[in-house]
Amino acid sequence: MKRKAFWGIFLFVISALLLVGCSGETTTSEPAATQEQGSDNATDKDAENGADKTLTVAIGSDMVSFDIHDHNNTSTEAIHVNMFNYLFKKDAKGEIYPELVEDYQIIDDLTVEMKIKEGVTFHNGDPLTSEDVKFTLERVATDDKLKEYPNYKQIKEVQIIDDYTFKVITHAPEPSLFHRLSRLGSGILPKKYIEENGWDHFLANPVGTGPYQFKEWVRDDHITLVPYDNYYDGKVEEWDEVVFRVIPENSTRVSELLTGGVDIAVNIPPADWERVNANEGTSIVQEISNRVIMLILRSTEGLPTADPRVRQALDYAIDDGALVNNVLLGGAVPTTTMVGPGNFGHNPELYDTYNYDVEKAKALLAEAGYEDGFEITLQSPRGRYLQDAEVAEMIAGMLAAVNVKVNVEFLEWSNFVEMRNANENKEAYLLGLGNSMFDGAYSVDWYRAERYEGHTDYKNDKIEELLAASAVNMNPEEREKQIQEISAIAAEDVPFVNLYQEKINIGISDSIDFIPTPDEMIYAPSIKRK
Amino acid sequence: MGKFLIRRLLQIIPVLFIISFVVFCLVFVAGDPVALMLPEDASPEDIEQLRESLGLNKPFHVQYFTYMLGLVQFDFGESFRYKESALPIVLERLPATLELATASMIVAIVIAIPLGIWSATKKNSPLDFLATGGAVLWKAMPNFWLGIMLIILFSVTLGWFPVSGRGSLSHLVLPALTLGTGIAAEMTRLIRSSMLEILNQDYIRTARSKGIREFFVINKHAFRNALIPVVTITALQTSTVVGGTLITETVFSWPGLGQLLIQAVNTRDMAIVQASVFIIAFMVILMNLLADIVYKILDPRIKYLKGEDICRSIHRLEIKIQQLQVQSRERLISLSVGCDFC
Amino acid sequence: MFAVILVALFAKSLAPHDPKMINPAMMLKPPVWVDGGSSLHILGTDNLGRDILSRIIYGSQISLAVGISSVAFAGVIGVFVGLVAGYYGGFIDNILMRLVDSFLAIPTILFALVFLTIFGPSVPTLIVVLGITNWVQYARLVRGEVLSIKEREFVKAARSIGVRDCKIILRHLLPNVISPFIVISTLSVATTIILEASLSFLGLGIQPPTISWGGILSDGRDYVATSWWLATFPGMAITITVLAIIFLGDWLRDVLDPRDNH
Repeated sequence: MKRKAFWGIFLFVISALLLVGCSGETTTSEPAATQEQGSDNATDKDAENGADKTLTVAIGSDMVSFDIHDHNNTSTEAIHVNMFNYLFKKDAKGEIYPELVEDYQIIDDLTVEMKIKEGVTFHNGDPLTSEDVKFTLERVATDDKLKEYPNYKQIKEVQIIDDYTFKVITHAPEPSLFHRLSRLGSGILPKKYIEENGWDHFLANPVGTGPYQFKEWVRDDHITLVPYDNYYDGKVEEWDEVVFRVIPENSTRVSELLTGGVDIAVNIPPADWERVNANEGTSIVQEISNRVIMLILRSTEGLPTADPRVRQALDYAIDDGALVNNVLLGGAVPTTTMVGPGNFGHNPELYDTYNYDVEKAKALLAEAGYEDGFEITLQSPRGRYLQDAEVAEMIAGMLAAVNVKVNVEFLEWSNFVEMRNANENKEAYLLGLGNSMFDGAYSVDWYRAERYEGHTDYKNDKIEELLAASAVNMNPEEREKQIQEISAIAAEDVPFVNLYQEKINIGISDSIDFIPTPDEMIYAPSIKRK
Repeated sequence: MGKFLIRRLLQIIPVLFIISFVVFCLVFVAGDPVALMLPEDASPEDIEQLRESLGLNKPFHVQYFTYMLGLVQFDFGESFRYKESALPIVLERLPATLELATASMIVAIVIAIPLGIWSATKKNSPLDFLATGGAVLWKAMPNFWLGIMLIILFSVTLGWFPVSGRGSLSHLVLPALTLGTGIAAEMTRLIRSSMLEILNQDYIRTARSKGIREFFVINKHAFRNALIPVVTITALQTSTVVGGTLITETVFSWPGLGQLLIQAVNTRDMAIVQASVFIIAFMVILMNLLADIVYKILDPRIKYLKGEDICRSIHRLEIKIQQLQVQSRERLISLSVGCDFC
Repeated sequence: MFAVILVALFAKSLAPHDPKMINPAMMLKPPVWVDGGSSLHILGTDNLGRDILSRIIYGSQISLAVGISSVAFAGVIGVFVGLVAGYYGGFIDNILMRLVDSFLAIPTILFALVFLTIFGPSVPTLIVVLGITNWVQYARLVRGEVLSIKEREFVKAARSIGVRDCKIILRHLLPNVISPFIVISTLSVATTIILEASLSFLGLGIQPPTISWGGILSDGRDYVATSWWLATFPGMAITITVLAIIFLGDWLRDVLDPRDNH
């Protein structure tokens, strides 16, 4: 019996060592050999060709659909931009310039006349005409079942003048029209192809005008694109094949990058940044995203958060800097506005700064009659945003210091969405708000009382006034000032606690040049081999 | 044999019926995904309208009837996410999962059968202990953890196998090892104990006493008989293997049913959920049926003639399995620790 | 095993720190014996500076509680169904066994995945779902036992003199099936602890701030390669407990079932 007991202990120790051993080892031994080995696995056929002209990108979740109007998923758009062209496009600084459009003219507050480039063809060879533009924009502007409908319903109709000229007419003055036409949902679709073959055929065999065309989509596995020979701007020679691989598990994605299995891996968790940089042949590139993380507060009568002083106190009690430095390891910029740089109406004074003063927070709470504190519920998703759960727990810890007891409630994403839709939000919830339009009006619209009645129940008369005025203001300078002012008022009145603006964290192989853009697109023609 | 088959097949019908009912209830309780399907600022009228067009506003029994009507025509409805009929999407994923499941099963069998027999014949030796103790330790390791460890060791550090994805045979190695060794741990213990039992039986003792060589005894007599429980044990693991693919597929980005299901659950794509649960259940049932048939072929002592006989032999079989499980665990324990607690 | 239970019961006095105390100054400190380790945190700290030893100690509470109560829940249903099916046989048996077959055909983790997404992952739902999925194994076990006991003389005798059914079940059958049930259910506690870890991996395990071993292990997976102690120690806690439970199962069997002693 004693012998058996000895064996028992022996085996356990061995296995424990093994566990510790193989996990400990990897921190120290990431030699160049790994890299060499890894590249063999990349793709077998490339090795035969000699030059590796396949770009492999690891993404965290599968593309939603090729229905460009019926999703609101940035990572899906990140793939689509390679296949579809927009009428307008944004450069890295957020400036809008014409893409498919050759020339345009603002006729009046409701009408813009545009002329598209001649000689642009779809991947099936059909030429691009005004008919296609009309078909695309009117589909999304009239079908209220489509997820992008709210962003295009402002368009009344597209009037065709000739094959290449048309007028876009809006219901009301629409200052953000160009912002709308340079983003998700405005890729031009082939009318003739869709009408002849049916929508289902299009979804299975999508056709656009972009630099890359569709090759295959194996769901939850990969999407492969190949260059389009007759691209109007010239065939892209850089990559013979672009493969988007779906790898949901973080550690697997990192491992793929480290072994050279992929050239680009999105969303690298902060814990692995050092490891990726230390590994020979890979590094982390960062760029500010257009996603602001905030606490959406409920100002409903009867809740402590209805009192602006309480909301201000929460703002002062949370150390955004500590969140950014300790939890996100610098992967974010603190902010007090939800309109980030590169957006129309950005207010630089409110950016890269934050309120933190525990004493002041306590004083404000005392003034509001809450010296002894109170209890709130903070709802938060888990694994949706960078370190979201950690941030929520950290905030709970910070608020405890001013006697506010926070019950953190984590919700799985679909439950979280349902909670929001059903207005079941409690005192506060953590949300990351993206802005694919890069127009501040889109962000500050969150303060509009009518839109979030029963959700935030926030109402500020001055903000209401400014919102109404800016929505139809066709004078860009004035409109910019109005949006900036809304941000300034909100920074004082704190309808939401703006925390920080997230950074995009992408791991890349050192054999390529890739500078991420704030819109989070992965535009293959801009990625170069070294 | 024909009668037996018909009977067993007929038994499947109520089982499928119950499964479909349970799944339907779950989906019904889940509420409707309409809010997730429409744009963020959809009006209540829009939501109501869509709900109506999908028949989601009807009472329970009406919805259930519609659902069953579709079911008998193998129609599980349209996937909200893919906007296609659900069943073809599920069937499209099946080969990947079957590939992984089969490979894992092979890994499990290749490890478990020799190890189980070997440790049974060398009962109480240190080697026996290593095998059985190792099995317990392996079992205590969650699947996802093992997978991540294997990736770090064999892909990142050693560079032997690709990290993830499906494609060549080398892509299959790590996921199959992850899932297969976990199953092997359980199987080793079961096989070992059933082997022990057979080795204790009279005719083996007789064979031994007659001076037949040990190798021959084990191979010819014992193994043949041990095969019967092995088949049963293997079939019973089907459910575990399929369940294990959920985790393994996520870790290794394997584009199979498991990942589809997790995505579908997360997006409330209930048509897909229903179809895949149904297909998985069907697979498991089929495997068990297959095991019964093999069992019958291997063991002619069991006659499936009358209904009563069937019940009795199934009872006998079930009791046997339960006993085997209890015994295997019990033996294992006595081997691993000595009597510290007694 | 008793040590683990004791740890769970006296977590408060044993834990050196508050397991939820966040400390930005002490993030990701390695265990004391590694360079850079602090004697304040023997097993190191996690990514929010929380003491890992304390978290493991507190985690034992919820992990064991979920394990034990879900098994108890499953056991009650399973023993009842098994007794009824085995004793009455015939049509009832047939129906109940088809129900058992149905549940056996759906892998536990799959059922749990669907169930927990719909009802939200909380401790009570977790216990319920594990109970619902696990009762079938007890039902089968108990039914098998009942079938063999039913044929024994004392049961036949009781029946022939007209003792009521429920009395036979309670007096004669239940005591005889209880010991194999206890042996199997002890082992189920181990399986449940591992299953909870797998569910945590899918994001459906016990949610923070409640601390469970599976949760700590699963959260630690992003740090496997950089800060190994985050996941290794909860992993070891699970392994030790599972081993301990298996030993306990053996011991219980020896005590409860003297007939089969060797």
